[in-house]
Amino acid sequence: MIPIEYWLVFSSLLFVIGAYGVLTRRNAIVVLMCIEIMLNAANINLVMFSSYHSTLHTTVDSTGQVFALFSIAIAAAEVAVGLAIILSVYRRYQTVDVDKINILRW
Amino acid sequence: MLEYAWLIPVFPFVAFMLIALMPKRTLWWEDGAVYAIGGALGAMGLSFLVVWDVVMGNTLTDGSQRFEWLVVGDFSLTFGIWIDQLSAVMLVVVSVVGTLVVFYSGGYMHGEGETRRRYYAEIMLFISVMYGLVIADNYLLMFIFWELVGLCSYLLIGFWYERPSAASAAKRAFIVTRVGDIMFMAGIIILFKYVGSLDFAELFSGAGVAAVPSDMMILATALIFGGAIGKSAQFPLHEWLPDAMEGPTTVSALIHAATMVKAGVYLTARSYPLLVQAPESLLFVATIGGITALIAATAALAQNDIKRVLAYSTISQLGYMTLGLGAGGYLVIHADSAAGYSAATFHLMNHAFFKALLFLCAGSVIHAVGTNDMRQMGGLGKVMKITSLTMLIGSLAIAGMPPLSGFWSKDEVLAAVWHAGEFDPMFTLLWLMGIATAFLTAFYMFRMWFMTFAGEPRSDYHAHESPKLMTVPLMILAGLAVVSGFALFIGDGFKAFMEGSIDGLLAGAGHESVLDVAVEIFTDPLTYLTLALAIMGIVLAWKMYYVPGFDRSVFAKGFNGKLQKALENRWYISKFYDDFAVKVVYAASLVADAFDRYVIDGIVNGFAYLGGNMGQVLRRLQNGNVQRYTGLIVVGICLLLILVLYVLPWGGW
Repeated sequence: MIPIEYWLVFSSLLFVIGAYGVLTRRNAIVVLMCIEIMLNAANINLVMFSSYHSTLHTTVDSTGQVFALFSIAIAAAEVAVGLAIILSVYRRYQTVDVDKINILRW
Repeated sequence: MLEYAWLIPVFPFVAFMLIALMPKRTLWWEDGAVYAIGGALGAMGLSFLVVWDVVMGNTLTDGSQRFEWLVVGDFSLTFGIWIDQLSAVMLVVVSVVGTLVVFYSGGYMHGEGETRRRYYAEIMLFISVMYGLVIADNYLLMFIFWELVGLCSYLLIGFWYERPSAASAAKRAFIVTRVGDIMFMAGIIILFKYVGSLDFAELFSGAGVAAVPSDMMILATALIFGGAIGKSAQFPLHEWLPDAMEGPTTVSALIHAATMVKAGVYLTARSYPLLVQAPESLLFVATIGGITALIAATAALAQNDIKRVLAYSTISQLGYMTLGLGAGGYLVIHADSAAGYSAATFHLMNHAFFKALLFLCAGSVIHAVGTNDMRQMGGLGKVMKITSLTMLIGSLAIAGMPPLSGFWSKDEVLAAVWHAGEFDPMFTLLWLMGIATAFLTAFYMFRMWFMTFAGEPRSDYHAHESPKLMTVPLMILAGLAVVSGFALFIGDGFKAFMEGSIDGLLAGAGHESVLDVAVEIFTDPLTYLTLALAIMGIVLAWKMYYVPGFDRSVFAKGFNGKLQKALENRWYISKFYDDFAVKVVYAASLVADAFDRYVIDGIVNGFAYLGGNMGQVLRRLQNGNVQRYTGLIVVGICLLLILVLYVLPWGGW
């Protein structure tokens, strides 16, 4: 059994990498991908805590696992919506650079 | 019977509601006069039953059924009724004059058309709250009714509100009396502070009186009398009453001669148990009364408006009453005698009858001639026999001719003031002012009578006697003006009757018998002095205004005509208010306006401006860059985490 700290460090790294990407990348598609990475960091946490809980109490509690599956399904839907938005933005502006898409301001 | 006295104001109030709220076609004759007459008669009937009970020796001054009006914490404010001899006198006045005026209005207001509905509604409201004022057993309840009669006075003075003079006179009456009302309120607040209750029963008890320190008692009683100064048109707040003559004459007769202006005198008389604790206040009351009597009598000399003469005469007679009350207090303190108190209340009742009579006569004249100006009348005695005769009776009564009512009460008042002179020399001076006023009263009343009814017509009028509906009330009131003075000698006499209302203050000395009173009046040389002065006044008026060929300009030339001018301008008191007081108030309001505009508004607008400008700066943050927003969210979450995880535990929360 891999100690829980490893997992925690791993998912934190994954989350921070994703957040860094969201904050810095110009390409909207890459931003979307980074969001997926952040989401997966959360998923890993869910699965990991579920497994840790089961070993700790010597029971089989799969709530966290099932929740992770839900999360993945929703992420898929979210990607579909996100890509659709990016597609229509691209049709309107001929670019997916998030710095250029800034008319919603003062 | 007494416990049902609270029903008295209910009758006119129901009439008021009916007249005000019922559909127009149900108002019948004279746009609601029927309801008004019904309400007035009902209240009068019940009042008479109550008064009869009081005459039989019953009073209701404690333990009346009370209803709870307000509960604050463990303090509860309850209202009840208080019927004693003083209330009974006022009940007689209000019911008799009120009812007769309502009847008279049926004739006098005939030409007013639909506005009569408003008139009758307001008159009924007034009569109702006036009854309430009279039977209240609590200063606060009294104050509420006090304000309500002021409101009715305002509404009725401004009855012809389309005339600017009437509208401004109404406002003036309202505002000037408000000055007095504020003083009244301040007085009762002081009393409440020390006694913790405003019920007469508690305030007038020994414990209630003892709870107030003597200097505060002087202040409180003087302030309460301040209310009377406003309402009873005493100097220096008396100038509203002549202006109030802008209202219909019936209103002047009812409100500004017989009832509402008596409320101030009533209040002073009601507060007697407190006033006698503060001789300084009594002296103040008497001085104000004396000054008022003299100033108003002199101002009446040069008026040409028949109603204004009567208005000044009312002020002057009210001055007599307060003078009598002030002197009476000294008599209570030093001589255990209720002579001044009973004289003042006696004059209150008699004056209500003959002054209402005089006003209604004046109304009859105005109704016939169509003007208030006496210079355009003259010779009316030939065409208006009943009016001229009844007005002659009224004038004789107010001039103090025996055996009419004014003689008895005025003589009693002056005798009381003279006797009070034994205890304070100030009263001797006030007595001199009093007898001077008696002379002037006889003079100006007969000046008015001769100018109106005697001689030849001075303008082209087509006068005719008023309808029966108007002359019958005149005759009834004239009858009362003749006989009401004899109340002094009925049964135990009026004096003994009124002693019942303040017997707690007297050391229990036996009262004089009726015979003693009569003997005292007729053996006192002062009686004959007053009488001689009054006759001189009448003769002088007859000489100046009846005998042809008298050169009146002799008097006008006195002091280079300055005196005449001063009298015509009513001693410039009104002018003083207009020129000086109003300007001071105007300047103060300009300052207040500037303060409001620049300081208050400045602060408010400043905050609005600050908000706007900060918005201008802060909105630059919203630049449309999603990643900037996200960054801020991340920074915010990090800050919150630091706060929750490190700062708050470190601070000990």
